[in-house]
Amino acid sequence: MDFIVEGFFKALELLINGDGSTWSAVLATLKVSVWSLLISTVTGLPCGFMIGYFDFKGKKQLRTVLDTLLALPTVFIGLVVYAFISRQGPLGEFGLLFTLSGIVIGLTILAFPVVTAITASTVEGIDPDLKLTLISLGAGKRHILTTCLWEVRYGILTAIVNAYGRVSTEVGIAMMIGGNIKYHTRTITTAIALETNKGMFADGIALGLVLITIAFIVNLSLSFLRKQ
Amino acid sequence: MTHTNPAYHLKNIRHYYGSQKVLDIDDLNIKTGSITGLIGSNGSGKSTLLKMLAFALKPAKGQIFYKGREESGFSPTVRLKVTLLTQNPYLLKRSVFENIIYGLKIRKDTNHLEARVKTVLSTVGLDYGSFAHRRWHQLSGGEAQRVALAARLILKPEVLLLDEPIASVDTKSAGLIRKASLKARDDWGTTLVIASHDLQWLYSITENQISIFNGKIFPGGIETIITGPFEKTGDKAFVKKHANGQPLILKAPGPNEENAVIRKKDILIEPSGHDLTKGINRLSGHVAAMHLEKETHHIVATVLVHDLSFVLKLTPDQAGSFGLYPGKNITLGFYPGDVEWF
Amino acid sequence: MNKKWIMNWVIVFFMTMGLAAFAQAETKSLMMATTTSTEDTGLLDYLMPLFEKDTGIALKWTATGTGKALKLGETCDVDVLLVHAPSAEKKFIENGFGKDRKEIMYNDFVIIGPESDPAGIKGKSLADALTAIKGKQAQFMSRGDDSGTHKTEQILWKASGLQVPDKETWYVQTGQGMLATITVAQEKNGYTMTDRGTYIKYNSQNKGNASLKILVEGDKNLLNQYSVLTLNAAKCPKAKYDLAVQFSDWMASPKGQKLIGDFLLMGERLFFPNAD
Repeated sequence: MDFIVEGFFKALELLINGDGSTWSAVLATLKVSVWSLLISTVTGLPCGFMIGYFDFKGKKQLRTVLDTLLALPTVFIGLVVYAFISRQGPLGEFGLLFTLSGIVIGLTILAFPVVTAITASTVEGIDPDLKLTLISLGAGKRHILTTCLWEVRYGILTAIVNAYGRVSTEVGIAMMIGGNIKYHTRTITTAIALETNKGMFADGIALGLVLITIAFIVNLSLSFLRKQ
Repeated sequence: MTHTNPAYHLKNIRHYYGSQKVLDIDDLNIKTGSITGLIGSNGSGKSTLLKMLAFALKPAKGQIFYKGREESGFSPTVRLKVTLLTQNPYLLKRSVFENIIYGLKIRKDTNHLEARVKTVLSTVGLDYGSFAHRRWHQLSGGEAQRVALAARLILKPEVLLLDEPIASVDTKSAGLIRKASLKARDDWGTTLVIASHDLQWLYSITENQISIFNGKIFPGGIETIITGPFEKTGDKAFVKKHANGQPLILKAPGPNEENAVIRKKDILIEPSGHDLTKGINRLSGHVAAMHLEKETHHIVATVLVHDLSFVLKLTPDQAGSFGLYPGKNITLGFYPGDVEWF
Repeated sequence: MNKKWIMNWVIVFFMTMGLAAFAQAETKSLMMATTTSTEDTGLLDYLMPLFEKDTGIALKWTATGTGKALKLGETCDVDVLLVHAPSAEKKFIENGFGKDRKEIMYNDFVIIGPESDPAGIKGKSLADALTAIKGKQAQFMSRGDDSGTHKTEQILWKASGLQVPDKETWYVQTGQGMLATITVAQEKNGYTMTDRGTYIKYNSQNKGNASLKILVEGDKNLLNQYSVLTLNAAKCPKAKYDLAVQFSDWMASPKGQKLIGDFLLMGERLFFPNAD
């Protein structure tokens, strides 16, 4: 029991004293999760919106593929990305292995289907009366599209929060592609895995608390936004 | 734009959901500046017709003329003149103010917004100060309906289509919606088409009524519809058997005709000076409801004969001489030959 | 309005993150693959800033087993290696993947186990100890990850005249790093073989009172030699050969050797410098 209590105190100590390796892991986590989220949102949002908004041939099949991608195991993404960005791989010359950029690629692949699928479902769930209402108020096709997009903003926020939850807690990709390099690609999750492996529970708990705190802040600011 | 042209002229409209025919209108005119009531049960095609009139739905076949010009959906000429208040109006996830000015923003008509919103909110009985900046989820059903109506009224539309505007609102809102709709017609000559289940309310606001049954239009308002099953007795007559033993004899239908209608003018009351003699269907029932037609002061009475309701129209004098009141037992008659099939 | 304020805040946050990611100045950096023991003991944390101060080169490393580290060298995904499996290293150079191999330091392996010592190996020779463990079918944790330690352990079974266990139920292959494997041994009350440095680290984490004790040590077969390997520039043109040589030279220099010798944990020396 002692080491759990000890973990809480150690957490405060590490953070207040500005422990270099702890803060670098926190910063690495923030960087990779924000960047992967940004890229997957910028790409996934329009894709999800179009899939949900328009009717086209093969839509059902596309949704099935998307839902399958949702369940993609992170170690498999890690493996594939590793194979591509290793010096031997087709993208080897960019030297992305063991970098934060490499992790961002993996996490983006992880987050993209989440953003796309949830956005598509949200858009599909738009009240059919909305479109009718907009037409009856005189809206043209362009206005209808932009207004629909704005109407589902909370659903889109949900998609982004979900994606954030996946990327910030991910460990397989960060470990395989990042290589858990101290001060560089060690993220909170890979650090926790390492500390647990080494039997250093206190440090692991400290980092876990930071992760929970970040998640808490993100969700808090979202619920605040939603209330506006 | 001349007033000789009707607001709407529908010709040979057919519409289907899958293989099911939901609208079948050979010819329908709606006069400019008129207030028309649309009567029909759920699934009769009312909402489909209103969407078509709003140019939000294109008929599978047929033509719609708006003020003499054939139009189809999304043409800006009509899109900005005609507006529909749907049965469950959707309020945008914004403030009341933003909801009301949405249509104006599309029209890039954004002068004196605050004053105009104030005016239109007071027309529907809402106070600007306490409502304009409420969020969409801070409104009761009646308030939401009135805000949605205000968002249409601010556009000063040529045509205002209302689909069950008072179906889910309180009495006070129903009254305010009625008043605001009438004001639109009086102030701007807006043509109104209103669908409602509440016949009392509908007759009190509309000048003429169209009823709709299985997608078929009856421009004279509500009529007596007799649905199957029928029994065939010989080549010329069909019989509708009735639970209380009063059989109806009807002339035989043409091919593909399934339902019978008996027009109001063809239904007689005994005694009435008419000879309810041989060959007439004689039925006894009781008066279930009476409505006053606003324009003509005629009385539309619904008479229940067991589970069939017959609709007939009387002049004020006739109504007086029969001493009709809801609940009174009367005897009706109609000739089998007067039945129309569709 | 509040909402606008939040949106601005969010945008500023994203921008900052973005700049922070790109602002990683392209200083000279050297990517090394190494074994878990050099990281777990804290040796690299201790050497890294000193090396950077002397040469201006930022040292980064990924700690895996020696086998994986050599593989990363073969695929040119790193610039330099610090490993401890002499025979595999020589083969690596013979196969043309590596250029230079410089012996830097050594420590030794020890067999550790619970104080109760169910197989009764305390003080025995290495061969007798392994034979006893096998005879008693006592739980033995192996790294099982093709690391330098794992390779050495396999050699030691053979050197003791025994077949290398594989599927035996008492032989547990963790597939993890050294400290992790010691943790497993502690939980299962079993034996394992570890480098002394990692054991001292483990003991220090338990405030000098670890439940696993050193039972067998001092056998000449238990010597654990660490070397720095540079990669063959012909095979890996992108690998930073020049920087790798600088690192190798610095480690072998009198200064580097002294620093390694001065690295103590709980008053004990973990690695013994032995560059020529």
